[in-house]
Amino acid sequence: MANKIKVICLVFIGKIFSRLSRLFNLGNGSTWPGQIALLIFPEILTYYESHIKKGIILVAGTNGKTTTSQMLSTVLNNSHFCVIHNSSGANLLNGIISCLLINSDFHGRLLADYAIFEVDEATLPQILHYLTHKNLSIILLNLFRDQLDRYGEVDNIARKWTEAIRNIPKEAKLIINADDPQTAHIGIHAARLVYYFGLEDKNLYLKSKEHAADSIYCPNCGEKLIYHGVYYSHLGVWECAGCKETRPKTHLNNWPQPITGLYNLYNTLASVLTLQILKLSDFEINTGFKKFHPAFGRQEVFEIDGKRIIILLTKNPVGMNVAIRSIIQELKLTSGNKGGYFLLALNDLTPDGRDVSWIWDVDLEELVKNSIMLICSGIRSYDLGVCIKYAGCKNFIVETNLLNAIKKGLHSISPGESLYILPTYSAMLEVRKILTGKKI
Amino acid sequence: MNDIVLTIGWFYPELMSTYGDRGNITCLLQRMQWRGFQANIVSLDREASLREIKKIDIFVGGGAQDRQQEIVMRDLRGEKSKLISDMIENHTPGIFTCGSPQLLGRYYEPAFGKRIEGLGIFDMVSVHSGIGVPRCIGNIVVKTGDFFNKYKDFKNYNNYLVGFENHGGRTYLGKNVKPLGRVVMGFGNNGEDKTEGAIYKNAFATYLHGPILPKNPFFADLLLSLALEKKYHKKIQLEQLDDELEQKAHDFMVKRTLAA
Repeated sequence: MANKIKVICLVFIGKIFSRLSRLFNLGNGSTWPGQIALLIFPEILTYYESHIKKGIILVAGTNGKTTTSQMLSTVLNNSHFCVIHNSSGANLLNGIISCLLINSDFHGRLLADYAIFEVDEATLPQILHYLTHKNLSIILLNLFRDQLDRYGEVDNIARKWTEAIRNIPKEAKLIINADDPQTAHIGIHAARLVYYFGLEDKNLYLKSKEHAADSIYCPNCGEKLIYHGVYYSHLGVWECAGCKETRPKTHLNNWPQPITGLYNLYNTLASVLTLQILKLSDFEINTGFKKFHPAFGRQEVFEIDGKRIIILLTKNPVGMNVAIRSIIQELKLTSGNKGGYFLLALNDLTPDGRDVSWIWDVDLEELVKNSIMLICSGIRSYDLGVCIKYAGCKNFIVETNLLNAIKKGLHSISPGESLYILPTYSAMLEVRKILTGKKI
Repeated sequence: MNDIVLTIGWFYPELMSTYGDRGNITCLLQRMQWRGFQANIVSLDREASLREIKKIDIFVGGGAQDRQQEIVMRDLRGEKSKLISDMIENHTPGIFTCGSPQLLGRYYEPAFGKRIEGLGIFDMVSVHSGIGVPRCIGNIVVKTGDFFNKYKDFKNYNNYLVGFENHGGRTYLGKNVKPLGRVVMGFGNNGEDKTEGAIYKNAFATYLHGPILPKNPFFADLLLSLALEKKYHKKIQLEQLDDELEQKAHDFMVKRTLAA
């Protein structure tokens, strides 16, 4: 009973806080209520769990969390389930709890069939500690090097995930990327029901390996892995010559994707496989996908005076490499071999990671070769400029101020043409604020 | 001019390239080519032969995770290890960042598993303080030590080295090495004695990445001139390049880090 009173107070505070922050455009309303809740009632997640009728879905991985959970929530909503989802991208424990509070009624009750949470890599073990729901699905998308200053090394995250998964409910289901040796390894040794997705298309193999590959050594025994083909970074068809650990057979390897890009094919497979496990029909999934819109900053398109601005969030080398690859493909189809107009924006605030050395792991030479104009912006615009200079670019602009950089970019293109903006996380929020006049 | 060539040996690029370390290679290569010189990059992977190693004019090593570090150490035994030690003893320049200094010292004790014996070229030891102890993470500014005094005539000379550090291991220097410099802001070798990095003959070990060379272009030129002098047995004057952007990036971070 005492808990219930606590929750009712928290809901009240949370709702007021969230309204106020929206009213005054403070932009942090999606984490504060949860922060307060963690202080006075840390077990609140376990309390809420019983309110969620059909299941909890967690989406974890370095790249693709937001898009995958957006796909899941679009389809489930379209099939008339009541879904709660941390769609603002606040994926730490405080953001997830805030999402529960804000969706409750004033009696502290939550009426939901499904809860979909994208979960930060470091938060997954924390949230799993509280969850006992017997219909728990955990999606592991991939593990790439990302924000090493915050997360530590990739091996470190993998180790924490493995430990956390050891204690999840016996009935929990894991939906795992078989092409990533690191996530697959977790699945192989999990002693839980595991469903794998991955690609089976030799035409999609890369011709040469990218620089930013992490797990080319066996997570089990340390021997160098043999790849029969690589799709991107260290994702591919792999096998270990030492301990014989092999890429698991996939339960799903193809599906029509609602959004372009190879990385989005993986996101599609992850969400479809999960929806199939939840017993949705293929028809329901495909009709749901027709309603799908990309999440903010992920291939989001703005139009100003007939000029297009396309924002592609880029926060780590692997994500940036695939974004560059898909833009170049698109340019070749739409503008011949003329090249494109680019604005890169690099910030080093906490959500971006304070260490910007990762830009040197991106294959920027490809971008330089295919650009007509390149603007470097953001707090670390000079570092970006230096990196672009050493990648062989002779003509580029360094404009630290993002508003001026966007103006310069827009000024250079004609109606019908596109400006591609590749920002880090906080720079993306700033770009959107400039373009829409409001925060998320 | 065009017959001047340096061979840059890149230590285990597949295993030891975690923090944009490739930037150090690109930086040396471009700064040779912009001056009309040539440079070759040779990957010193597990397959590298002694013959290939002998040809190297500058060694470059980067950061690795503990697991990768162990694989490298298993490979760096016997003749290979002896050859590299001899070359550094004979003044072949080298820049070793993040994980690789730990390999060149006497030993490294990782967070998990057994002590890893190092090459023992640098008189220093590294110890991981355990998984519960916070890592040394953040922007770092170092004031260069006495070694650099004789290079003050470089037009792009700078008193400060700037970079980013992220290491669980703590390094302690012995008597036979000198620190690269003194920590002004950040942790450095161990967060206790204010030293950062180590210099032995013409080889440099440091926790600074960023990567260090393009952020501190005078350091890159220093390595190039040491290598050129050793190879051609005379001082070769390096033409001054336009480093305006590099200086801006450098100064911005020195100012911001010291203000923090």
